[in-house]
Amino acid sequence: MGRPGRIGLGLVAAALVVLPPLTGFHPYYLYLVSTALLFGTVATSWNLLAYAGQISFGHAAFFGLGGYGAALASLAGLSPWLAIALGGGIGALGAAGIGLASARLRGAYLALATLAYAEIWRGVAHNWTTVSGGGEGLIGIPPLPTLGWLPLDFTRGRAGSYYLSLAFLVVVVAVFWGMLHSRLGLAFAAVREEEERASLLGVHPLPWKILAFALSGFFSALAGGLYVHMVGVVEPDLIFSRYFSILPLVMATFGGLHTLLGPAMAALGLYLVSELLLHPYVPAFHQLPYALALIVVVLYLPGGLSGLFTRKPRGAA
Amino acid sequence: MAFGGLLALRGVDIAVEEHQVVGLLGPNGAGKTTLFNILSGLLRPTAGEVWFGGRRVTNLAPWRLSGLGVGRTFQIARPFARSTVLDNVLVGITFRGRHRYGRALDRRHEAERLLATVGLADKAPARANELSLGERKRLELAMALSTRPTFLLLDELASGLSPKGREEVVRFYGRLKERGLTIFAIEHSFRILAHVADRLVVLDQGTIVAEGRPEQVLGSPRVVQAYLGEDDGP
Repeated sequence: MGRPGRIGLGLVAAALVVLPPLTGFHPYYLYLVSTALLFGTVATSWNLLAYAGQISFGHAAFFGLGGYGAALASLAGLSPWLAIALGGGIGALGAAGIGLASARLRGAYLALATLAYAEIWRGVAHNWTTVSGGGEGLIGIPPLPTLGWLPLDFTRGRAGSYYLSLAFLVVVVAVFWGMLHSRLGLAFAAVREEEERASLLGVHPLPWKILAFALSGFFSALAGGLYVHMVGVVEPDLIFSRYFSILPLVMATFGGLHTLLGPAMAALGLYLVSELLLHPYVPAFHQLPYALALIVVVLYLPGGLSGLFTRKPRGAA
Repeated sequence: MAFGGLLALRGVDIAVEEHQVVGLLGPNGAGKTTLFNILSGLLRPTAGEVWFGGRRVTNLAPWRLSGLGVGRTFQIARPFARSTVLDNVLVGITFRGRHRYGRALDRRHEAERLLATVGLADKAPARANELSLGERKRLELAMALSTRPTFLLLDELASGLSPKGREEVVRFYGRLKERGLTIFAIEHSFRILAHVADRLVVLDQGTIVAEGRPEQVLGSPRVVQAYLGEDDGP
């Protein structure tokens, strides 16, 4: 990243940190930006899995498992902080499970398997009424409590969940950066580019794939867990919606597949344009940016937005 | 080895002795690459056994065989296309079963040394899919060597190269032999085989049709017949 890029990034980061007091803790705007940050988290974790060559159409499964896991734990009396962490663990397990089950699938077959996986969980949530509340879902999920030892402004009202969603995004981006600069990234890229070749060079592909699924599932589920504590309810059609599967894919691809910040930036940009500019004025078309973004990437920007900033345009990475 | 109803290899019994270079030749479809796929663990034979270093290794996974010291190249280069040339050799150096380094710097130094050995030092930051055909062949060899194998399967290292590139390949064979490697190599060029091989094995339609020292085999009517067909013989 060049100097202008770093300055721009610094400005965005600073703006995000001071946003709550800037908007006078306006609950609706904080809710919107928090949701955008959660989408940034899911898009980045989707990208982490894609870095290992696994294209998912089913991240709603992980988001929703985290949501239901955290909601049930919170309603059972666990502290929401712990409940969200627990939801993350459940999402990681659920993701590792589909990673293992679809170990031999690639490309479109894997994508369809993950799509079906999310639909299966939606069906389970609909029908396992005693636990999930069925189609009506669960209500009365408590908001995040304020933290006594922090200045009230950081955790009051929606500011607490806002800062937590910002923290999730920062952490998942940091994990992605660490992956890029460690043997984890080397193994993921090798499995992605030439799985058989990787296996001849000492890389046993399956554990790496499952690790990629688990990491990706963990962060998506953390986002889902926080999301249900923000909205206070969880329903199968809301949380296992294909929306949470397709949007991360669109955001990551538009921002730049395999790049560090592209998916998060695209998530913030697309979601906020959709919700702030289009939703109030032309609600019927508020999902248009996602469709346009995908078309633009396919036709003109194979490297996504990040491809515009690299000197030599290339397929991806 | 059978694929459905097609018998690709039958009754193939080959022993490669340590520190020797054994050449494998035969017409297209003879089963050479199938044999390499079995020996490197990419295919499981439907019958028969593979032994390596006094140990039965039939059906071992590729990464296990790699850990025991088996390395291979592909006829058509199969690098990690969108990774850098340096990363391409770092994979083997990092994940090989033996001689691992704890420090990233040591791994990097070995990768740079290895690239220098094959003449790709200045290409380290380039992406593998930006390399020319000759450079890809060198990268193939560097990737195969990155796990520090003792037994190398080389699949047409010289094919598609210029005469100068072929001379270089002959020199590479010499250097690999000096380092004490055991080599099993598919090559089509009689000249190269005559130069580098201690022994030759000829496959045709899945069976061995000739075997012996290069000068014996290359002159044998069965070999000429396998390559040129019955009626076109000299």
